[in-house]
Order: sequence, then structure tokens, then C-alpha cells
Amino acid sequence: MNLIKMLLAASCLWAGAVLADPPKGYPFVGYDAGLAAARASGKPIFLYFGRYGCAWCDHTNKKTFSDVALKKLYTQNYELVYVDAESGKRLTLPSGERITEAELGVRLQAFATPLFVYLTPQGDKIVQIPGFKTVQDFRDYDRYVRGGHYKQKTLLEFLGSKS
Amino acid sequence: MRAAALLLAVLALPAHAAWEWSAPLTVTSVHGVKIFPHLESANRQGVAVSGDTVGVVWEDNRSGTPQCYLAMKPAAAAAFQPEIPLSAGECYEPVMTALGAGRFVAAWEEAGKVHARVLPGGQALQLSKADAVQITLAAGNGTLYAAWAEQAGRFRRIVVAQLVLHGDALGVKTVIPVEAAMPADEQGWPALAVAGDGSVTVAWEDRRNRHTVPMVSHSRDGRRFAAPARLTDHKSGSAPGGLGAGTGAMRPTLTAWGERGVAAVWLDKRDFLSGYDVYAAFDTGSRRFGKNVRVQDNFGDSIAQWHARIVGDADGRLVALWDDARDGTPDVWLSDWDGEAFGDDVAVPGAAGPGEQSDPLATLDAAGSLHVVWLDRDVTNGTRIRYARAERK
Repeated sequence: MNLIKMLLAASCLWAGAVLADPPKGYPFVGYDAGLAAARASGKPIFLYFGRYGCAWCDHTNKKTFSDVALKKLYTQNYELVYVDAESGKRLTLPSGERITEAELGVRLQAFATPLFVYLTPQGDKIVQIPGFKTVQDFRDYDRYVRGGHYKQKTLLEFLGSKS
Repeated sequence: MRAAALLLAVLALPAHAAWEWSAPLTVTSVHGVKIFPHLESANRQGVAVSGDTVGVVWEDNRSGTPQCYLAMKPAAAAAFQPEIPLSAGECYEPVMTALGAGRFVAAWEEAGKVHARVLPGGQALQLSKADAVQITLAAGNGTLYAAWAEQAGRFRRIVVAQLVLHGDALGVKTVIPVEAAMPADEQGWPALAVAGDGSVTVAWEDRRNRHTVPMVSHSRDGRRFAAPARLTDHKSGSAPGGLGAGTGAMRPTLTAWGERGVAAVWLDKRDFLSGYDVYAAFDTGSRRFGKNVRVQDNFGDSIAQWHARIVGDADGRLVALWDDARDGTPDVWLSDWDGEAFGDDVAVPGAAGPGEQSDPLATLDAAGSLHVVWLDRDVTNGTRIRYARAERK
């Protein structure tokens, strides 16, 4: 029993080391696993592009992702993917191209972390949003994405028109 | 009179720094919208000049899986020769260095280990016993070194190997971890330089401070390494409220420079709202890197820089290259060190303008000519690897 606990603890530590700084308690997975899961489930992807030691990521995790209802909303309705902005870990884009997690930042033209990217289940980008965001922000983005509003409006248009 | 002299000196600077470029050539013989070549490697060490032959290594998926290739071009040839496959299995992040007289050593990651081979001819040799990635090479003073990130417990750490040559056969003389202690967090992306006095400098990404910090160490003989020091002069530490651990910095590259010096550049996010900037530091021979210098000029200040590389030579030439999209799409830029500062950013002709040109590799040959390789990404026709040579006007 103790051995099992030790192995579980070690695997958690290892996952922490690989995934760097995703919010605690969320089932974030790597890019390839998340894309495969989204294709199977048909759920959209919520990609958290963070950086190891990033203060604003830490702030967002503590202030926003600690919200229990938000956690439930995103855990139930999205495939959660965490990408480390400086990692050499490899991933495969929907095009079939193999790049590193750091290179994904180049492709996204990321200039700050955290960067939040919503993707279709096929891996096509819907919208990307940089910086600290509140619980309400993430609720609005969820309505924009899962409500399919992105097919007709930009995020700014949607946010400007929301009641 | 003094003012006039100063003005003349200032006016002369751009002319001094100007490069005259050859027409770009395509390195790769196979292209297609589903073929993705990559130039990424530790120290961005994918081009070398040996005698009068230019060599370029890269990875692409033309065979269905990532494989590494080498293409060579003698100076007199109009085009690159057909590429040579380096690997038998999945291959990543190949690098190369010159041995002279048209011979090279290439190294790469394959099946979770790092390998090397003398070219032309030669057989591949597995260098690492443990799992290893991100190999790089450097040669100088008759000695050939490799460095890679090797699994050591939970994390990877940097090891430096001295390689020996017997004709076309490679051997491993020593493999030394830079630090004897097991790593406390992840280390990776090593860069190597052998200075004019034969000492070896190694820089790498290091996460022991709970964020990514470029670290550096050196050795007189490649066997005993000094305690690691920070390459960056930007301190670690949490933001107010105890948030985070520090800003990010990644992918250090090194070059030997001048009589005994070593120069470094890396991507640095100390200004965290404008993406990574290119920063540099210099060791003039004391085996201590000094104050950090921002490389790109103010026109590139508010935009992210990527894929930085520095190249130098024994005559004191020093050039930094990177890509950024300040003109709307990614272009390759360079800046010359004039002895006191980096000069104006200059777009590399053929690697700038419409379309996406990125991921520069570079080297200076014995005559001081600059050889640059980059990716020319075209979603309609596929990505090509391009090459151009430049001489100072």
C-alpha cells in the first residue's frame, strides 16, 4: 500500500515537472493527448500556454482557476491542454508537422504568458487571448466558443453585444 | 575637428557593417505541402564550412517519419549536392561542425540516444548510454567536444564529452557531467564554444530556480568544470504577492570570438510584455560573462524575437541573427557587433519580404564570409531550406 502511495506521489511529481505550471486539480494533458481526446469526444480544446515560473500564470491560477464552478465548467466541457512556452517537448500539429512546445509559441505569435487558446475538436484555432483574465471573462469566452458565436462574430464583437 | 572626426566615424559605421549577398540557393531537393523541414538544434549548429565545402543538416518527414539529412556544396558548385540521410530511425535536432579539408562531424538524437558520425564516410556511433537529447558540437585547438542533455534520475542534466578521431571513426574519450550532483530540476539545450586558448565553455537552460535561466560553466581541459554561473544578469525572484519565480530566458547560443573570448546570445523575456528579446553577454577571456546587452534595435523592441544565434571568429568578427515579424511577417535579421555595441538591425536579402522567412543558422568561414541558412515557409508550395553567402563590402 505504501509502495503504491509512493509511486502515485512520484508520478504526480513527475507530471508536475513535465507540465510545469498548470492550475492545480485540473485534468490538463499534453497537446497530442488533448487533440486525440477532442477528436474522440467532440469537445473543443482549451489550451493553456503557460511558462514555468510565470507570475501572471500563477496569479491567474490562484485568483481565477481556483473558482470551483469555473473548474467544473471547463473540466466538463473542454479537453484541457497545457503547453509549456519554453519546453522542447514535441507535439504534432493537425497538419502533421512535428514541432516543439516552444515552437508552438512562435506559430501563435505569443508575446506574453499566460495565453489561452480555444480550438475546435479538430485543432483549428477559434480565438486566442493573452494575459490575466477573471472568472467572468472565462465564462464569456465559454459562451462565445460553445455557443458557436465565433462563426459569425469576432470575440470583441461578441463581448460588445453581450447582455 | 573632433566633432568632424566623430561624424565621419558615425557615417562610416553602416558602410563598415554592410554585407554583399549571393543569390539564395535552395538546399533541399524534396518539397511539398506535407513535408516539414526543421532547423532547430542545440546552439543552432546546423551549418558549417570545412575547407571550401558548406554543409547543412536538418530534419524533415519526407519518409513519413522525422529523419535527419546532410547536404553539401563545394564553393565552385552552383547548387547543393543531393542530400545524404544521417539516421536510420526517427531523428531530431541534428548539428554539425567542421573538421577541415571538406570533412565534418554531424550529431543528432535518434531512438532516445545521441549519435555522431564523420562525413563523408564514417559510421554512426551512439554517444550516450542513458537517454539523451539536444546534442551540440564544437571543435577547436585540435579537440572535438559534444554536449547533450542526459537523463539523470527525474531530470536531464548537461554532460560534455571529448571525442576522438581515428580516420573516419569516432570514439568517446571522456563523458563528464558539468555538475557531479544530480540535477534539482530540468536542464537542456546546451551550447558549446572552444575559445582560442583551448578552454571549453558550455551554456544551457536551467530550471533549478523554478524558472528558466541560462547558466554557463567552463573548463580548461574539458574534464573539470567550474561551478555554474548565471549567464543572465537579471535576477530570479517572485513578483509582489509571491507570484511566480522570475522571467523566462531560453535557448542560449555561444561562439568563440577573438583571441580568447566567447560571446553568447539568448532569448530573454525580462520585458515580459513584448515577447522574447535577444540579449548578449561577453567573456573576453576571464571566463566570466559580463553585463547583458540587448541586441535588437528599438524598431524591434515591441515585438517578439525568435531563433537567436551568434557567430564569431578569431579575427573578432561577431554577428547576431534572429527572426521577427516587425514588418508584418517573419524575416531574418542580423546585427554586427562594432566593438562597443550592436549596430542597426539589417534584414537579410532573400530572407526578408513577403512570405515567412525564419529560423536562421549561420557560420563565419576562415575568410570571414558569412553563411546563412533559413526556412522559407510557403503554405501553397511547401517549406524550403534556403542558403546565402555574404562578404563584407
